[in-house]
Amino acid sequence: MIRALQAVARPSWPLVVMVLGLGAIGIYNLQSTSTAAGTAIYLRQFWFLLAGAAMMGVVAAIDYRHLERHAPLFYIVMVLLLGLVLVIGKEVNGSRRWFDLGSLSFQPSEPTKLAVILMLASMFNRQTKPGGYTLRDLLPIAGLLALPCFLILQEPDLGHTLMLVFIAFSMLVFERFEKRTLMTLVVGALVAVPVAWAFVLHDYQKDRILTLLDEKADTLGTGWHANQALVAVGSGELTGKGHGQGTQVAGGFLPENHTDFVFANFAEEHGFIGAGLVVLLYMGLVVGMLRVATTARDKFGTHVAIGVAALVFWQVVMNVGMVLHLLPVTGVTLPLMSYGGTSVMTVMLGMGLVLNVSMRRMVF
Amino acid sequence: MSTVYLDTPSSGHRRRVHRLMLVVAAVFTVFIGRLAQLQLVEGPDHREASQRNFTRKVVLPAERGAVFDRHGRALAVNEPSFDLYVTPARVKNVGAVLDGLTEVLELDTLDRERLRERIEEPRGMWRYQAVLVRGDIDRKRVALAEALRARVDGLSIGVRHSRSYPEGLVGAHLLGYLGKPTAEELNRGSEAGRVLQADSLLGRAGVERRFDDVLAGEDGWERVEVDARGARQADRDAVATLPGQTREDPRRGNDVVLTVDAEVQRILLNALAGYQSGAAVVVDPRDGAVLGMVSKPGYDPNLWSGKLTPEAKRETDENPYNPLLDKSVQSYFPGSVYKVVTALGALEEGTIKAETKISSPGAYVFGNRTFHCHKLSGHGEVDLSGALAASADVYFYKLGETMGIDTLATYGRLFGFGERTALGLNGEAAGVVPTRAWHDEKTPGGYQFGLALSTAIGQGDVRSTPVQVAMAYAAVANGGTLFAPHVVERIQTGDGEVVRRFAPQVVRQLPVDAQHLADIRRGLERVVNDPKIGTGTKAALSWGRIAGKTGTAEVKGGSGGKAVSAEIRAFRERTHAWFAGYAPAESPRLVVVVFLEHGGSGGKDAAPVARHIIEAFHERVEPIFSVQASNAGARRTDRGLP
Repeated sequence: MIRALQAVARPSWPLVVMVLGLGAIGIYNLQSTSTAAGTAIYLRQFWFLLAGAAMMGVVAAIDYRHLERHAPLFYIVMVLLLGLVLVIGKEVNGSRRWFDLGSLSFQPSEPTKLAVILMLASMFNRQTKPGGYTLRDLLPIAGLLALPCFLILQEPDLGHTLMLVFIAFSMLVFERFEKRTLMTLVVGALVAVPVAWAFVLHDYQKDRILTLLDEKADTLGTGWHANQALVAVGSGELTGKGHGQGTQVAGGFLPENHTDFVFANFAEEHGFIGAGLVVLLYMGLVVGMLRVATTARDKFGTHVAIGVAALVFWQVVMNVGMVLHLLPVTGVTLPLMSYGGTSVMTVMLGMGLVLNVSMRRMVF
Repeated sequence: MSTVYLDTPSSGHRRRVHRLMLVVAAVFTVFIGRLAQLQLVEGPDHREASQRNFTRKVVLPAERGAVFDRHGRALAVNEPSFDLYVTPARVKNVGAVLDGLTEVLELDTLDRERLRERIEEPRGMWRYQAVLVRGDIDRKRVALAEALRARVDGLSIGVRHSRSYPEGLVGAHLLGYLGKPTAEELNRGSEAGRVLQADSLLGRAGVERRFDDVLAGEDGWERVEVDARGARQADRDAVATLPGQTREDPRRGNDVVLTVDAEVQRILLNALAGYQSGAAVVVDPRDGAVLGMVSKPGYDPNLWSGKLTPEAKRETDENPYNPLLDKSVQSYFPGSVYKVVTALGALEEGTIKAETKISSPGAYVFGNRTFHCHKLSGHGEVDLSGALAASADVYFYKLGETMGIDTLATYGRLFGFGERTALGLNGEAAGVVPTRAWHDEKTPGGYQFGLALSTAIGQGDVRSTPVQVAMAYAAVANGGTLFAPHVVERIQTGDGEVVRRFAPQVVRQLPVDAQHLADIRRGLERVVNDPKIGTGTKAALSWGRIAGKTGTAEVKGGSGGKAVSAEIRAFRERTHAWFAGYAPAESPRLVVVVFLEHGGSGGKDAAPVARHIIEAFHERVEPIFSVQASNAGARRTDRGLP
């Protein structure tokens, strides 16, 4: 009891501050773009964030080893929901990713990331392979990953599929591999790239990648969104155009400005100083979570922290990389800043898990 | 405590995490660097791009100048016309839009599917670009389209000025028509100093083309603030803060006032009504001003300036009489109207005197060839005026034989034949004045002496345009001044302020004896007024004197290679009919040239047309005879000639 109190008294406060800070910046930014959108979506985002903070607190408070026991149930529920969304989901722009719950909508692929993190962490925790993982050991892990990946690809949602793969990959990096297995994996990945290009990717997805390679390609057609985002970011210069003064959003030149391209709007209005600060905050958040991983009292905690850190890291990289025209357009949201209840709450839940781990760290 | 935590993260784990932190830090440093590149290094460029984004340079098209006739009658003006557009990004229900447009514009299935493609295909920014569904819709359809616009999203109606030619056919070749620039012209970006837009209109023929730079004016531009949809945003004040100029007013084109009289044009068209193909030209011999010039068959410049239906175009293209060709400036065998050249040359060279009588039988054997006269029985002994009056071919063969082809050519050139005039309209031909050297180069077998004989009567390879013939006869009529023809009297601003006035332009004073010209004029008077031998008596008026020369030019056979109907083949084998003359004979005010392509005989066909023109001019435009036609006993009996 005393130990529990001691632990709860030592959560990683800097992490909490950074999470809430980014959430606040996100709301502030949405307040600017929603003037153009004509709806007060930033108010809704505020409520999402508040609910997320509450969930973060609840998740942090329960000892994560209890959560570990419920991981399979969580995973199964998410897989069922992913299947269900393909049937009764709301179709938007040709894909079915959301359940329509009246005024709210729910995207099952978001919390699926947490379910996969918990499942993988639990598996790694149970298996100890001093000689390193062999291909046979990887099979159940691959199966565990392939099922949700397949379902999400059917929506289709390449961004989230990639996120799951990246998160799992990041967690695996902490395990040791048998040499031959490692070689096989590398060769397999090299083969997978052209195969994916030929059979998996849709034409519009290839266009997005090609757009990235050729800066001036079709700036009015396929490359228009990407190019307008660049113009938005660049025209912010050092100090930005000021809050609510972004002409790219107001003129409707910047699409998806409250979801995928929020960062472009923020960079336009707050310049290098504002955008740089946000990037540093995300870096602090990821590094902070990785620090938690090093102090966790068991492998499960380490892997959960690394998984959530990977979730935030890859989402930031893919989103900001897309806005800065370093990576193709994938439609991955920016954690905490993009509008969307499921996205915000998923990140907050993940943060709850990391805080949980941080509060029950090893004391030397 | 320690017993609980048996399975603790290894130190290896910790090392790997630290390495990962470095990777994370590196990636985010790349982002910071990229931000610095975009915002600090390239920032000013992007700022400019974002300004260009929400401001757009809109072309303010200049209004084209008008064209008036010499009395200020409007021949080419501008009228509002309505274009129907659809903007793909604003279309909510493609099916409803297509259904509506199908009904309003009576589209067929193919049109409908093409339109669907044009609405559904554009990507990105192009979706905000309005697509032209149909230009220049009539008022009834404007009303229907407005009603449709209230029901479905995405339609818009644009208003612009379109060219209108109130006199229709009367203007045809003379005025020309307008057309949009071709892709090639757009690539070049400008044409004769004009900056071209995709919807600029360029003069494609006639005065519209010749004076395009005068009429076009200069387009202006305005920088307006727009959103991504291209809609203007008047309530934002960013334009005011833009550096530099934000507007340049368009400059209206200047008006062109012609020397041509619309009434004369109507008279000419009416006079040619009975003939399929030909041209008529009326000039003032005192200054070379063109009072009228028409070509048959004509076309409606209203149709050709952007309202051309595929059917109308096909009809024109398939018309064997070549409606788009301006025959007043194309060259043909002149036949006997060319005899004035031979006559003047012979007088000047001293080959004959006016009173020299030469035997002129029905045929002339030269070498191993026999040259026939149009009149088989011949004309007996004739002097110059008699030879002109009767168009005695053998008389002129003999002159040609004596003078030689090169001397004939000298006098042909003196009259301006074989050379483009300064008119500059409709791809004017230079015509041909053959010389020995010319034949050596062009004729199979080279020059043969017999060609001098044919040349003397305007056959062989002589080719002249009706306008050239008119200017030559004007020189004969006015006592030896060869003028350059001109159709524009002045250029003025829209407010009527004269910018430039075109003075009569003398090409040359013929270096000839005035008496020789008078001799020829006497002959030309007899052509029309000698009832016994004149070939042009059908041009005669009982109450005023007309002078002139008929011409019936043989054409070399050949139907042009293409398979044509028997009717067309027969047409193409007929002779050209010419009449070139002036009135009044004693103090010429008017030169008239009538050319009927494959129209028959100069005396029977062309001469009455010329008389009709002169008579109508006297009655309806300006009395040129001292006797009033209405006072004269002989009222015209043939109004609305064959």
